[in-house]
Amino acid sequence: MGYSEEVEILPQLILNSLIAGAIYALVALGFNLIYGTVKFFDLGYGALAAVGGYVTFFLYKQLGFNLYFSVLAAVLTAGLIGVILNWLIYGPLRRRRASSMVLLVASLGVLTALQAVIAILFTSQFQTLSRAAGAQKVFEVGPSIGLGASGVITGVQLVIILVGAVIMGGLAFLLRYTRFGRAVRAISDDEEVAKIVGLNTSKIVAGVFFIGSAVAGLAGILVGFDTGLEPTMGLSLLLKGVIAAIVGGVGNVYGGVLGALLLGFVENFGIWQISGEWKDAIAFGLLLVFLLFRPRGILQK
Amino acid sequence: MEYLIHLAILIGIYGILGLSLNLVVGYTGLLSITHAAFYGLGAYVTAILLTGFGVNFFLAMLVGVIITAILSLIIGAILSRFRGDYYALGSFGFNVILFSIFLNWQEVTRGPLGIPGIARPEIDLRFMIQDLRIVFSSNWSFLILTACFLLLCYLLSRFIVNSSFGRVLKAIREDEAAIQVFGYHTSYYKLTIFVIGAALAAVAGALFASYITFIDPSTFTLNESIFILAIIILGGLASNRGALLGAVALVLLPEALRFVGFPSDIAAQMRQVVYGLLLIILMLYRPQGLVGEYRL
Repeated sequence: MGYSEEVEILPQLILNSLIAGAIYALVALGFNLIYGTVKFFDLGYGALAAVGGYVTFFLYKQLGFNLYFSVLAAVLTAGLIGVILNWLIYGPLRRRRASSMVLLVASLGVLTALQAVIAILFTSQFQTLSRAAGAQKVFEVGPSIGLGASGVITGVQLVIILVGAVIMGGLAFLLRYTRFGRAVRAISDDEEVAKIVGLNTSKIVAGVFFIGSAVAGLAGILVGFDTGLEPTMGLSLLLKGVIAAIVGGVGNVYGGVLGALLLGFVENFGIWQISGEWKDAIAFGLLLVFLLFRPRGILQK
Repeated sequence: MEYLIHLAILIGIYGILGLSLNLVVGYTGLLSITHAAFYGLGAYVTAILLTGFGVNFFLAMLVGVIITAILSLIIGAILSRFRGDYYALGSFGFNVILFSIFLNWQEVTRGPLGIPGIARPEIDLRFMIQDLRIVFSSNWSFLILTACFLLLCYLLSRFIVNSSFGRVLKAIREDEAAIQVFGYHTSYYKLTIFVIGAALAAVAGALFASYITFIDPSTFTLNESIFILAIIILGGLASNRGALLGAVALVLLPEALRFVGFPSDIAAQMRQVVYGLLLIILMLYRPQGLVGEYRL
């Protein structure tokens, strides 16, 4: 590949990396919030992204409701299901002091069952969320910021990057400056002590599950508008989110975002050099490198 | 009757998978979610040797087992640095990587097209004894072959867990730090059992490839690893009988769903729902499974 060709493609590669990074960051944010609080790998979290996407699909595309209403309802549904799962499954297990592996296996069950339920309700076919057929409106980036070459980005992808930034800022603010955030951090440090000083820990954990799951749902919706929906989309999103979270530093809000961006760049530059089919393998390669050489992530906690 | 034999063969194959995973998860306490990758590797090596080179089945199986053992040695060496849920996630990752190799290394594996026309096993002793050539082409004979391998695996597993080696494994599961104090190199033990488990999974893979006579990557996904995990969790961790019991139950369970009369694509999803709910319910109410002696 010639030098000039590389320069041509560079802006687009960087844009693609940012878009992928923003999606992974969203997933990692919610995942990290939950992991940081309850200390187990909640794999069922992935299915909630699919729940968000498919509820939007049902309301917006099948029933023809207003876009904003559909998205809001879908995000709330995902959050609510997260709370219910915690109430029915994870909460009782945690009270019994089940090991984190028991919780992981239970959440694996949640993931498997929820994905299959979605496939039964909506078939396992690939669906798109946007109503407008054909190409989406695209913006050209590059000449305006003084680059010779340029790349394109769709409106949805622009929204993805914005939402990623807003959610990250919002979560950081919530954890840092609110009573709820302080309580979450207290539980994350030591749940027993938090209980002793009089925090209603089960209520706060439920809140964490609501927020985390709602963020997952939002990520699912955005992916649905950008590329499309599949019942198994949750698993692949979850895996990327988990990788981002571990690479960045598990349980650390900013770490997850850093890890997500790194993953986005490694993946996109990797498939540019190798080939698209190896995307997942590249992502897991990155995870393994980090697990081996820097197991606590970029930002150690 | 053919149908019952078919189910019995599947039970045999999943029995081997369950027994071998149980050595790793049940007896040693390493939550490995990558078993389907080794199962697939055994199947692919056997299939490629049988269709491409006309090697005898048993030799092909042996080569598959050796290649799987070597690869699992490398993977296990990386994994043995982790514990608990990080171990599970790392193993998860290897399943994804091996699956994408099956899917994308098209020159060798034919990718999503799969490998058709895999021969059934045969024993050819005509050079020694006249007319002694056994081909396991009927399902009956294949069932007997599978049962032999299952029995061998069962005896091997029982031998391992009752040996002094097996006692060290259980000690690692209960308290790795404590057994290290006594001077045991636990990572060596963890690695050895991981390789043995993977090699046995390759045996199951070879049997599967030759029985179905066709393989493609979709059999060896993460879902399959979860299914094998469900088998031993249902049957009971750290129990060889439990692994067999789990294989019987989970192979027969979806067949019961078949008679309810769902369309086939919905039936396939219903199975996943049942496996998922089963895992949840077991974790909530009976984490040691039906006859297990160890809880995660």
